[in-house]
Amino acid sequence: MLPLANILARPLRTAISSLAVGVGVALFLVLVGLTSMLDEIARRTTHVEAHLMVWPASDQVVVSGGLPADKVEADLEGLPGVAGAIPVLRWPFKMAGRVQNVYGIRPADWGAFAAADQIVEGRSLEGGPEMVIDTRLAAAGGYRVGQAVERWGREFRIVGIAREGVAGRVFMPIDTVADALQQTTRRASFFYVQVADPRHVEPVRVAIRERGLNVFTMDEFYDVLASSFVDMDKVVGAVVFVAGFVCFLVILLTVYTMVVERTREIGILKGIGASRLQVFGLVLAEAGLIAAGGIVAGFVLTWAGRAAILHVQPLWTVAIPPIRHLFAALLALGGTFLGALHPAMRAARQDPVESLRYE
Amino acid sequence: MTAIIETHNLTKVYRTDSVATPALRGVDLSIGPGEFVAIMGPSGCGKSTLLHLVGLLATPTEGTVRIDGQDTAALGDGGRTRLRRQHIGFVFQRFNLLPTLSAEANVALALRLRGRRPGDRPREMLAEVGLDAKRTRRPHQLSVGEQQRVAVARALVTRPTVVLADEPTGNLDSEASGLVMDLIGRLHRQRGQAVVLISHDRHVADRADRLLRMRDGRFLDS
Repeated sequence: MLPLANILARPLRTAISSLAVGVGVALFLVLVGLTSMLDEIARRTTHVEAHLMVWPASDQVVVSGGLPADKVEADLEGLPGVAGAIPVLRWPFKMAGRVQNVYGIRPADWGAFAAADQIVEGRSLEGGPEMVIDTRLAAAGGYRVGQAVERWGREFRIVGIAREGVAGRVFMPIDTVADALQQTTRRASFFYVQVADPRHVEPVRVAIRERGLNVFTMDEFYDVLASSFVDMDKVVGAVVFVAGFVCFLVILLTVYTMVVERTREIGILKGIGASRLQVFGLVLAEAGLIAAGGIVAGFVLTWAGRAAILHVQPLWTVAIPPIRHLFAALLALGGTFLGALHPAMRAARQDPVESLRYE
Repeated sequence: MTAIIETHNLTKVYRTDSVATPALRGVDLSIGPGEFVAIMGPSGCGKSTLLHLVGLLATPTEGTVRIDGQDTAALGDGGRTRLRRQHIGFVFQRFNLLPTLSAEANVALALRLRGRRPGDRPREMLAEVGLDAKRTRRPHQLSVGEQQRVAVARALVTRPTVVLADEPTGNLDSEASGLVMDLIGRLHRQRGQAVVLISHDRHVADRADRLLRMRDGRFLDS
């Protein structure tokens, strides 16, 4: 009753303090949510019916050169235990305002990339200047089945839309991509390799590595991709820390000011029977109410921020699972408690007689 | 009969840097249950200091304070708070109502701080002081006399053994002073708790059963 009445008596200050907490909450949720983009890309890339990914040895994983597709495919399929080798030729292709990595694949290999019901509209690839895109890209660019996308004087017709989660957002026949890249020899950026018996993945991997190629299990590649931008995590971490520290300082200043302003009131409370613990608790309760308001504001700001980001960058991923809201709320409460601790202790220790004389 | 308040050689010296200012000099006081005592004296004679010490808001430099026979010397802050809650109601000179709470909530707060559910008691108490109709008003919406009556209600709602009133009419005009003193006197007679009242006003002090005069930190008579 009293803590609520006190914070409502200073609506502007309460609102500003709550907003500061809210900004901290929103920064944490949105920035950490943005880091899930890498996880989303990694998950899609490894969501293929295969056991291994094979890359050229000399290239970085993220940026690939090319492998002689026919030769490498024959080599791989000749290894004991290999059930199949799926070449993929990647091609940068601008759609919906952003460069997409087109997955050039053989139409016959579509089944390894998507389940039968993954096509939600149209059909899968058959060949020629056509493409299948995912639902997110379709929504972001307003694309529809039958629409032609023109690039470099060529038209590529959208023949199908697949539910998001497939490895790439854009699939084209590998021959179409090779033609567009004016390749004289068929090349592949990398291969997915299917192993006949999953228990024999490791021997197959060893055999592939002995041929001078980079080879990863799907789990390994997921980890490599998901953690490939370590510095981004550090930057996000630093921003989140600064946001949290600013919240802490705002709460500290606000509550300290509240305690000084109400020196006399604290004397009254002690005079009419409040213990030190009760005074301590009342100050913390007020801070807690400010934090509660800030948490709600933070959730609203998070929703708005996420919506704004996805409006501007519809293909970005800002994943914020419900449990992270709880974690953010606990962080906000923890920061608030720390910020209010010193002023609350000061209030509890105030001499009631001196407080009653305070003007 | 055990005195409800008893002090022996009560002394308080305020020290600021190297300067020692004695506020009370060896005061002996005994207040019986249900007694109405007024203390008069010039400003700075130690009246308020005495009230703060017997009200357990401050600790003496020397001497003892007994509340209902219990020596408070060995009590820590928690023990003094418990004793204060149990026995003492304060009426301050400057009303000292909490500005963000209604009259009823101000009265109820005294009960809540003691872990009691207010129920209808605040409203009943406000009715006794003639302010039931204004129980939802905040202090700034009440006259100074009405605020002091709310303060009296707050002091009495917990049924204390003794009421300590520090210049309860100091900020009131004569009409309001009369109303407040009528109230204190009536409730004292009805409830039988002891009252220790400080005042500059002889008319106010004359309402008491016993008058004590102080000067320079000592009683002139007892």
